[in-house]
This record gives sequence, C-alpha cells and structure tokens, in this order.
Amino acid sequence: MRLRVGAGTHIGRVRSLNEDAYLLREDEGLFVVCDGMGGAPAGEVASQMAVDAIVRELRETPQPAPTSSAAHDPSYLPHTTRLAAAVRQSNQFIYDRARDDPRQAGMGTTLVGVWIRQHVVSVAHVGDSRAYLWHDDRLEPLTRDHSLIQMQIDAGLLDEHTASAAEHKNVLLRVLGREPDVDVDVREVTVRVGDYVLLCSDGLTRMVPESMLAHTFVESREPQRICDSLIAAANSHGGADNITVVVVEVADSWWRRLLNRRTRSDRRGQYAEANVAV
Amino acid sequence: MPKLTLQFEGRLLKEYAVGSGLTIGRLPDNAVIIDNPAVSGHHARLICDTGSVVLEDLQSTNGTFVNGEHVLRHVLRAGDIVLVGKHHLVFDNSAEAAMPGPVLSGLGDTVYLDTKQHRELRQTLEDAKAQAVSMRPSAKAAVPRRRTGVLRVVAGGADQYEYDLDAHTSLIGRSQSALVRLRGWFKPDVAVSIARSSDGYVVTLLGGKTLINNEPLVRRHTLKDGDLLNVSGLMLEFRWKDSEPAESAA
Repeated sequence: MRLRVGAGTHIGRVRSLNEDAYLLREDEGLFVVCDGMGGAPAGEVASQMAVDAIVRELRETPQPAPTSSAAHDPSYLPHTTRLAAAVRQSNQFIYDRARDDPRQAGMGTTLVGVWIRQHVVSVAHVGDSRAYLWHDDRLEPLTRDHSLIQMQIDAGLLDEHTASAAEHKNVLLRVLGREPDVDVDVREVTVRVGDYVLLCSDGLTRMVPESMLAHTFVESREPQRICDSLIAAANSHGGADNITVVVVEVADSWWRRLLNRRTRSDRRGQYAEANVAV
Repeated sequence: MPKLTLQFEGRLLKEYAVGSGLTIGRLPDNAVIIDNPAVSGHHARLICDTGSVVLEDLQSTNGTFVNGEHVLRHVLRAGDIVLVGKHHLVFDNSAEAAMPGPVLSGLGDTVYLDTKQHRELRQTLEDAKAQAVSMRPSAKAAVPRRRTGVLRVVAGGADQYEYDLDAHTSLIGRSQSALVRLRGWFKPDVAVSIARSSDGYVVTLLGGKTLINNEPLVRRHTLKDGDLLNVSGLMLEFRWKDSEPAESAA
C-alpha cells in the first residue's frame, strides 16, 4: 500500500485571515485538518497548536504494548486509541495556553485527523471539520458535525435541505481548547486500493454540496487535481470562509500498479456509467 | 468603538463599550460589576480624554494592574490587560473592532456553544430526541441486543482455539496488531480485516488469498452464521456467540 496525497488551503474570498491549519505526514499515514476560531491572533494559534501537538504526542509517546494499561480501549486498534489520546492531549495544551494568556482567551479549534496504517483508517474528530471516504464509487461521510444544526437534524427538526437556512448555524457543541476535557469521536474504517479519504474544513462543505464533492472524484483520480478543483468550487460558490482540503489516495505499490494496469483500466470502463448516480 | 472584555480564568464573561466615566467595582452601581471579595466597591474608572482612554485606580484595597504593573493612572493602549482582583479586562481599540467584519454572504464566525440561549436550545433538542425515541412504537425492537461473533479455528496453526470479535476492527495477518496471527514468511502482513457494524461483520480482502465457503473473496463479504473462512491456509468458522434459542427460532 502506498499513499498519494493532494492538499491545499485557501483564505477564501471574504476573510482577511486564514485560521485553518493542516498537517501531512505521508510516511506515517497521518493527516490532520484544523479550523481555528477566536479572532486574531487566537484562531490560527489554536489550529497550529493542535496540529503541532498531535505530531509531538504521536512521536514522543512510545508505542504501548499490546496488553497495555486500563487507558487502552481494547475495542479499538492501538493506533486509534493513540490518535484519540493525542487529540485529547492537544485540547489540554490549547486550554492551558488560553487560560494563561488573556489575549488568547476563548480560542479554540476544530480537528479532524486520520491515521492510516495497514489498510485501517483511524478517524478522530471534534467540531465541524469533516472526513469522507470515497469507495465503491460513492462518497461516505466518516464524521458527524458536533454542531447545533446537526443536532437539530438528528432530532428530526430540520432536514438537510432546509438546514442551510437555519438559525444558529455557526454554533459548535464541541471544540478543542474551550473545556479542560473533551470527548473525541473515533472510528475505524477499512480501505482498499482505489479508495480515497477526504479531509476538509467547513469552508468547503458549506459552499459545495456533497453531490458535487462526489462528482469531483468521478471526474479526476489525481489527488492534487481533486483538491484544487474542490477549492476552486468553494471559491466560485462564494468562498465565505477559509478552505482547507486534503485528499489521500490509497494506491498500490508501483510494481503491483504495473501488474494491475490492464485489469484496472478494464474495471474503470465497467464502472463509468455507475459513477453518474452519486 | 473601543471596548473592554471581561475575562475570568480564561473565560470570556462580557464585553463593554468604553465610555467616559465607566466605573469598575463590586457594587451594583458600577458599569462593570465584578462581584468578588478581592474587588473594591468602586475599584477603578475610565476617563476618555481627546481620543485616549485613561484608566484610574480609585484607591482600591488590592490595587489595579496593567500588563502586570501596578498603576494609579494609565493611558490604555490596544491589547492592554487590566487586572482587577482575579478578573482580567482586555482593552481593544484596534481598527478591526471599530468596523463591522466584512461578512458577505451572512456566514458569520463560528462560535462555541457558550451562551445561555445556545445551552437552552441544546437542552430542548436533547429532550425532543429522547421523546422521539420513547414514542417510537418499536422502540424496544429498534434497539436489539448487540450480538458478538466468534471465529473458531477448524484447521491450521493458531495460538487460540477461538477468537471473539469484540473490537470495531479485527485483523488477520502476520502483523503485530492482528487478532489472529498468521505464521510464515510468505503470509500477508494483513490478509483481511473484519469490521463490526450495527448489523454485523464485514470482511474485506486486503492481501493474499482468502476463500469464503470455498469461493474466492474479491472485495467484501458480510459474515453469516456458519461461514467457513480459509485465510491463507488457516481455516476458521464464523459463529454468532451465545445466540439465544428464542432468537434463532424466530
């Protein structure tokens, strides 16, 4: 397995600052997108702190033994548990900094992170930055926003079509840095060669409907090209917020790629018609 | 318009528009009321004077501090942090604060749930959700007891006779993190993953060869009771664990 990555961030067309931050560690299979909040300079401080803390935590915390302590949740794979612990730790860092420095009081950030190891993607998230999986020719959400609006949808008070007109649409129920402790949602999903993982800030998903996101994966298979056209789409729909997009393709190793070239091109022809129905 | 932001232990409490004669203190006749024993009844005040804002201590018991320095009179500048008792007041006079933000499409800043109104709305939603669940006629049937599957070793070398599929993801392969460890140099690192979902288990082929009921696994397969897996030579049988007789009869 090999990962091919495309990524980009754009300030959008309205904001005067980019408070998003992202992280790419192709070799380790680690990818993170954060969307900071709290006004200058706190927002971008929080998002960058979160990204830095995750890397530091995962590097410095030694790999726990398979039969490790009580903190280890046996129902998830070790790397999922470690990712979640690193996110909680970064919450602590941001919270402490915000408390100690009044200029950064109230800063916070969303976070969506994936750690891809041995074909299993560990997903951790807090807030309204999202992860999607493109597989079997459709786009599947891997996260559910921690927002009032998502809660209204869940309670059956709104459906997704009227949601964009709803009140309180900017209210998050969970972010990093605002409480001493935070619940981190985690999930595991198995990927195969040909699957793609998309991470993005809400600057993309509020501007571009999911059907259009999916269509981009039909039109292009090249991660950087997918990324660029998603950012362009968000801007052409208004670009009301910072836009950050990370696209990771689960690809074959080069020799297997060579071997499979023929069968794959056959298969793509076969699915070309199914692709339209997304 | 310049403003003061009242903060306590990193929490934003309130914002005040700065005006001449604004007083800060413990008593209710102050514009900025800080109800804390460390704060004097009338602790400090602001005087607006030809464009500048002056902070003046009103002979308070515990003193007024700006950026850590004890002051009696101080001309405030943007970003100054005033300490009164244990509360911070941040003075903001920046150009951004003076102008409304350039919001084009009505997409405001994202905020964290911290106002009373938001909390009330969340509570209402939680109540509505709880009610919706209890109203559903099939409420009990809709939440079935989650069944656990088990893999029993039928033939081949393994370190256990059976493996409970408790985890969200169980791996079979040579890898350290695999539940069922395959032995041998040419066995795949990860042969298959078994993902648990609300309605069962899905096997995904990741490497090597796997047969299910003697048919090659191509992509994914949803496990059924009695399925026979041959993962790179190791034969395993999938069974629902402790499935109750009543359930299987139904």
